[in-house]
Amino acid sequence: MIEHEPRRAASKLGLPNLARLKLTRFKLARPAFLRPDFWRRLAQRTIMLRTVTFRLALVQIGLFAVFSLALLGFVYYATVVQTQAEADASADQEFNELANVYERDGMGGLNQEVFERAATAGPDLYVLANEQGEILAGDFGSFPQTPTAVSQRAVFQYKTVQASNGEAVVNRARGRIGRLNGGPILLVARDMATSSELVRRVTQAVYFGAGLGFFLSLISGYFASRQAARRADALSRTAQDVMRGDLTRRAPVVGANDEFDTLAQDLNAMLDRIERLMRSARTAGDAIAHDLRTPLTRLRTRLEAALESPPNEDADREALRRALDETDSVLATFTAVLRLARVQSAAGWQFQRVDLSAIARDLVEFYEPVAEDGGVSLSSEIEDGLVVPGEASLLTQALSNLIENAIKYTPAPGRLHVSAMRNQSDRVALSVADTGPGVAPEDRERVIDRFVRLEAARSTPGAGLGLSLVAAVAEVHRADLKLEDGLGGVDGPGLRVTLTLPVLAAKG
Amino acid sequence: MRVLLVEDEAELANNLRRALSDDGHAVDIADDGEAGETLARRGEYDVIVLDRMLPKRNGVKVVENLRQAGVSTPVLFLSALGEEDHRVEGLNAGSNDYLVKPVSTRELLARVRALWHGRDRAAPATKLNVADMEMDLLARTVTRAGKKIDLQPREFRLLEYLMRHAGEVVTRTMLLEKVWDYHFDPQTNVIDVHISRLRAKIDKEFATPMLHTVRGSGYRLDA
Repeated sequence: MIEHEPRRAASKLGLPNLARLKLTRFKLARPAFLRPDFWRRLAQRTIMLRTVTFRLALVQIGLFAVFSLALLGFVYYATVVQTQAEADASADQEFNELANVYERDGMGGLNQEVFERAATAGPDLYVLANEQGEILAGDFGSFPQTPTAVSQRAVFQYKTVQASNGEAVVNRARGRIGRLNGGPILLVARDMATSSELVRRVTQAVYFGAGLGFFLSLISGYFASRQAARRADALSRTAQDVMRGDLTRRAPVVGANDEFDTLAQDLNAMLDRIERLMRSARTAGDAIAHDLRTPLTRLRTRLEAALESPPNEDADREALRRALDETDSVLATFTAVLRLARVQSAAGWQFQRVDLSAIARDLVEFYEPVAEDGGVSLSSEIEDGLVVPGEASLLTQALSNLIENAIKYTPAPGRLHVSAMRNQSDRVALSVADTGPGVAPEDRERVIDRFVRLEAARSTPGAGLGLSLVAAVAEVHRADLKLEDGLGGVDGPGLRVTLTLPVLAAKG
Repeated sequence: MRVLLVEDEAELANNLRRALSDDGHAVDIADDGEAGETLARRGEYDVIVLDRMLPKRNGVKVVENLRQAGVSTPVLFLSALGEEDHRVEGLNAGSNDYLVKPVSTRELLARVRALWHGRDRAAPATKLNVADMEMDLLARTVTRAGKKIDLQPREFRLLEYLMRHAGEVVTRTMLLEKVWDYHFDPQTNVIDVHISRLRAKIDKEFATPMLHTVRGSGYRLDA
């Protein structure tokens, strides 16, 4: 401990403070835009730069700029380089013609020829001098370039004074200069004013086009990304509202049928399902409260009454026995609720190949005696080798619930028919049909809802849970659950409950 | 018989101890997994009743350890976890039976007895005999007093289970689980109907009934 003392004292003396001071100073001295996160933050703050569409627009603009440059290069080549080459070729040709004139007619002929040609209006420029370098004829009083013994390319500028306003204009020209066969010096050139004017215009047009294109893509990028950002914002606002607890909110679908609409529709479908689950959970909560509170209240009253009445062994024992029965019924409800919750909440059941034919046959055999005892004849038609992906214990429980339900609600004498068949669309239809009172079409949806019981069925305890579990098992197996009219009879249209499951393969 | 009860909830443990003692068993109680395993390893018990969620070491781990150590005492799980996957998990760990809390005392007593007797009969038999009834397991035939009785396959299995547990109470749940392999609670008296059908076949034409209903518990096949 002692060794550590001085160090701690030193740190108390302000070493860390000094360090902090230095750091602060450094930070202050640095301009904001040099800080590493400045641009990133700025970009984040600028909503447009964040959107994917705008980034795509930027990439597009970049590509457009490259394309414009390439076009410019091509136009420059096509005009400037080509016209220069043409000017050079035509100057060369004329230079050679004049050289021939000199060969044929001598100095006098050449002089005459150059004089005449220079006098003609046009972009052609000539200068002729004798072998001593004295200018004899032509457009200029001197050579713009020192001639050499051999002929060479001449590129030069010259000034002219415009007649209209007296301004000096610099012109560019190019051609050929050289000494003809050891004699006179000749310059033949072409004024490039017309070609450079053309180049200027074309370049201007390209610049203008590129600028306009750049501007337009910037605008369209801005609007497209603003549109995309708005729709993404709408989706995320919906999600946030839902997170805040407003489950009725839905994402807007604009009808453009694009990926945003698809996303919104999927989001809405998901919200519908969540809302349905929440609502059914709430209904279930109320129903559980009712189904458990009622027998618990009865139990409590009964025990209380037994305790407060004068001791009587027979009465006490009877009260205890009934209390035990009541407890069992509460437990049965509780177990059923737990199982239902587990079936519904468990994600990713490990599905196996389940022989539905065997399950159905065993259950029919299991329930046949009890149905017959109750005056209901149980018949069946079960196809062989119906193998479905599923969880055997759940499917067994579901089918047994359906059969028990049918037995319970079919008055004697009645009929009950269990069938398991492959249907036209190659799925397995598992159905239980009876001759009972049936369920009115408008009530069918509600019957399937967890715990919602038909008032008529209220007298039989626990009936609501049976079908709810079937519905839950159907959902886990991605099976369709359908309620229809059953076999029909004196007691009503009867009820047919059909589970349609995907089939795996045929075994037999 | 000697029963080891591993249960951390004191009141439940005491009630179960009383019930088991009244049924004629000697009961030891351990109130956590470690203590339970230590006692069980001595191998002095005929049946172990084991809670699943125990302090210090959970029941599933205890069974796994016991089986690895070569202790083959039958284990009955008594658990608040009652779904199919829990049950399968418990049985896979090496237990012999699985009961879900809360359980009726009668059910527990019947299961404990069945476990103990079941151990004796683990050896494969070809014939079962109870009084004047004989079951040939190979030929799948049943005779009573020399008279042939025709049974459906499932009735045969029902009778086989009752004969293997002759003299013991078997509950409806036991029949449902062991004969039909169903693990749900039927809302109808379906087991009773099966029993009465079987009874009509094996008892009706004979002077002394063998298949008795034990009120509030289940059934018993007597000599």
